[in-house]
Amino acid sequence: MADDSPPTYSPDHFPSSPEEDTVEVAKKLGKTNMLQWMEIRVSEPEKRTTTSMKMQDTFMVYLIETRITDNDVKCKGDGTTSLWRRYSEFELLRNYLEITYPALVIPPLPEKKATYTWQNMATDKFDAEFIERRRAALEIFLLRCAAHPIMCLDKIFIGFLQKEEAWKDTVYATEFQSKADSKLKSLNASFRLKKPDQQFEELKNYSNEIQGVIANLLKVRARMADHQFGVHKLHGNYQRVFNEWSAIEREMTDPLQSAGHYMNVYAQSIDTILEEEEQYADQLKEYLAFGESLRSVCRKYECLQYDQERAEEGLTSKHSQKEALVQGKTSTGFSLGSLKKAMFGADTPEQRELKIKHLEEQIKVNEVELKQANEEMQKFVDAALRDIDRFKRQKTKDLKEIFTNYAIMQIKQCKKGIAIWTSAKDCFAKM
Amino acid sequence: MYFRLNKFSQFSIKNISIAMSDDLQEDGQTEPRRGKVMNKGEKQKFKDPLMNIVGEETDDADGELESLDLDASCKSDASMSRSSSLNVNLSGYDDNDAETHDMSITVDDPEKHSGTMDSYVTFRITLKTTRTEFVCPEYEVRRRYNDFLWLRQKLEETYPTHVVPPMPEKHSLRRLDRFSPEFLRIRALALQKFVNRVADHPVQSFDKNFHIFLTAKAWEFQSHKKQSTGLLGRVSDSLYNMGSSYMLKYRKPEFAAIQDYILAFGEKLANIERITQRIVKEQTDFHTDLLEWGPIYTLWSNSEDQLVSSLHSMTKAVETSSASLKELIDATEDHFNQPLREYILYTECIKTVLRRRDAIQAQYEQTLDELNKRKEERDQLKISDQTYSLGAFLGKDPDEVKQNKQDKLEQQVKELTTQMEVLNDKSAVCDTDLRADMERWQKNKHRDMKELFMEAADRNVRYYETCLKAWEDTIHSIQGKDFPVTACDKPEREDDKDKDDDILLEKAESTETDKTASDLS
Repeated sequence: MADDSPPTYSPDHFPSSPEEDTVEVAKKLGKTNMLQWMEIRVSEPEKRTTTSMKMQDTFMVYLIETRITDNDVKCKGDGTTSLWRRYSEFELLRNYLEITYPALVIPPLPEKKATYTWQNMATDKFDAEFIERRRAALEIFLLRCAAHPIMCLDKIFIGFLQKEEAWKDTVYATEFQSKADSKLKSLNASFRLKKPDQQFEELKNYSNEIQGVIANLLKVRARMADHQFGVHKLHGNYQRVFNEWSAIEREMTDPLQSAGHYMNVYAQSIDTILEEEEQYADQLKEYLAFGESLRSVCRKYECLQYDQERAEEGLTSKHSQKEALVQGKTSTGFSLGSLKKAMFGADTPEQRELKIKHLEEQIKVNEVELKQANEEMQKFVDAALRDIDRFKRQKTKDLKEIFTNYAIMQIKQCKKGIAIWTSAKDCFAKM
Repeated sequence: MYFRLNKFSQFSIKNISIAMSDDLQEDGQTEPRRGKVMNKGEKQKFKDPLMNIVGEETDDADGELESLDLDASCKSDASMSRSSSLNVNLSGYDDNDAETHDMSITVDDPEKHSGTMDSYVTFRITLKTTRTEFVCPEYEVRRRYNDFLWLRQKLEETYPTHVVPPMPEKHSLRRLDRFSPEFLRIRALALQKFVNRVADHPVQSFDKNFHIFLTAKAWEFQSHKKQSTGLLGRVSDSLYNMGSSYMLKYRKPEFAAIQDYILAFGEKLANIERITQRIVKEQTDFHTDLLEWGPIYTLWSNSEDQLVSSLHSMTKAVETSSASLKELIDATEDHFNQPLREYILYTECIKTVLRRRDAIQAQYEQTLDELNKRKEERDQLKISDQTYSLGAFLGKDPDEVKQNKQDKLEQQVKELTTQMEVLNDKSAVCDTDLRADMERWQKNKHRDMKELFMEAADRNVRYYETCLKAWEDTIHSIQGKDFPVTACDKPEREDDKDKDDDILLEKAESTETDKTASDLS
């Protein structure tokens, strides 16, 4: 969308040289969305251990597979790639993207540590459930990037997907870290803007609100999971008592035992239910983290505006300085200038001319700087607003689907409950 | 030394006299009570309702009570009812063990009264009956909880060898306001169960205190209560109060089995009740969570413009679920735990009766021992020589001493023999009563337990059905009426890739979909 040339679709286009990028091919075919022609999967987490300097480092790696699905874009070979990546490499990729495309809302990574946990939830980094949820989230991350018209064309991103060797080196070679605005490093510093942009202020407020609301949802949901778990597991005790009871009865033996079996089924069912529900929590957590991404965009904008305002101020003050010299007025009140004058006498006409010329040169430079700053700001605002709009539409669709999925999960749980209790009722009817 | 007084014998002699008067007081004597319990009913059948005579063996006390003006609480023409009840009587009822529901009682309509010292609640008791001993087929009176307590006490005193149903607890742990409509409704149901259980009992249902309870006007009832408490003193140290354990030589295995069963059964019920309490507590906590969770979605909708109706529908589903859960929690406490607790009390009643039965058997055995001992003494005396006895030493003629001793022993043997026979009968009757009651109790227990657990399961089913509907509505609200909710049983998705594909490819259509969604909302 950003810098596409009008599509020239030519169905018979085949890559002429093996080195030609599939991406270039796709671009020429006018496909803006990588997912339209490529399938990406994150699968098969494996444990790796490396030993370095007498220290053992154990970590998980994930298999990243790609497969070209569109026949027109086929490259040499079978069109598939696969390589292994670990979480820290994902982090590197994301940092790179964030700094390289400051105006874009960069998709978030899954959490480093399990948050909003409840009693029985998997919290260990190497726990199978935790790994599985992380794997799914990493996949979503890549898919979101691939679906982005700008990000999917990025060479580093493509390299992440397809080029195993020395990818890290290529990232560092871009020297992206130096581009990072030093002001951004102090993320907590607030900028005093003379005229904060309404839209970005609203966006900041929105990101705060959404983060607050989602955090609350997750917090209470964790408690709900705990209590639901308790309710179900307690029903398991019924089986024990029913069995004991059936031993002292003559007529109610079988029905009681069968009913007890169903109580046990009910107790066990909560494990799968909560595992599935964790998916909902993960989806909410992604949007919680998206809030951070939004805030980050706002912050970058503020940096730009800060610079721009500083440049403007600088220019204005230089103009007034020049005016003052030209008109021969000395500044009123106490100032360094007046002090100097008092101590050393006023400037000579030549000195003044020199000063004025000096200032005019500075003003010229500043004007260029200001123009650049304004242009940059404008470009940023355009790109950012466009991407934010895209994000919002995506979010609406996503959340509708997320809520629908949650409702579907609840319906599934209800159906299970109905089935179990109906069976139990049938058992009791045979008492 | 034959002069030493046997502690037990004195005790048992005193009891014999009371027991005898007890027998006299009850309708029908030991004679007809031996054998089938239904004999009592049969006896009543032949009473001539028009003459209002209960039977020959009745003593004056009964007659007094019968002559109370029962017409006052009658609903219909007295003479009409008498003839109609005669008809019903002659058509007879089968005296096998089919339950005769010829008395049906409802307890409802709680009303608060403010007395001089305290306030209390009365319930309306409506009796519908086809029995001949009642003047009218229908009665309506008002009674309070303490009146029920009085009735139960009277029944226990009168029928110590029968199982009297338990009363609901005086205080509820959950509902602290004893005037709250919910509490009173539950209590009325429990009281109704109590009186109907008495009404179903082949012996207790004929009890005159019971009849007065059901039919007498307020002031008549109060005066009757006052009169009857005078008897308490006499009865207090009789069989009714025998609580402590006895050294039985040999408890019949039949009753040992009953004892074991009742003990174990009570334990199991207590376990179930405890588990249920814990579940209810956890459900209550979950309910609290839901109350907090639902509104958060609505709060979120304040920050959105496209998702408002979706978020509202989420809140609605959570609210519906939490309301349904509250219903489940309340119903579990009122209609599951409460009846369970009552059944546990029931086992306590049975244990008491078992103890009394043991006591009677012990009494009988002791008396038998005593009798045999005396017989032995008597036989030995015949061949003894009294020359060196205490009496001879004091100057009495040895033969006279022997004669005196013989006479005394003969007397004792005679008394003890009678006593032993009475107790033997009593023991047999008690065993029969208890056996019959246990049989009935087991049948009722079976039916009650089945009903109780089926209802509990059904409640859970209904809870889930309500929740299911609520979430289906939410999906329709978010996605439109045609979304295939029934296809919701699709297999678990391994990842969300498909979802993203769909979304990200439909960029162009997205704005339109938003519009339609907001149109629907």
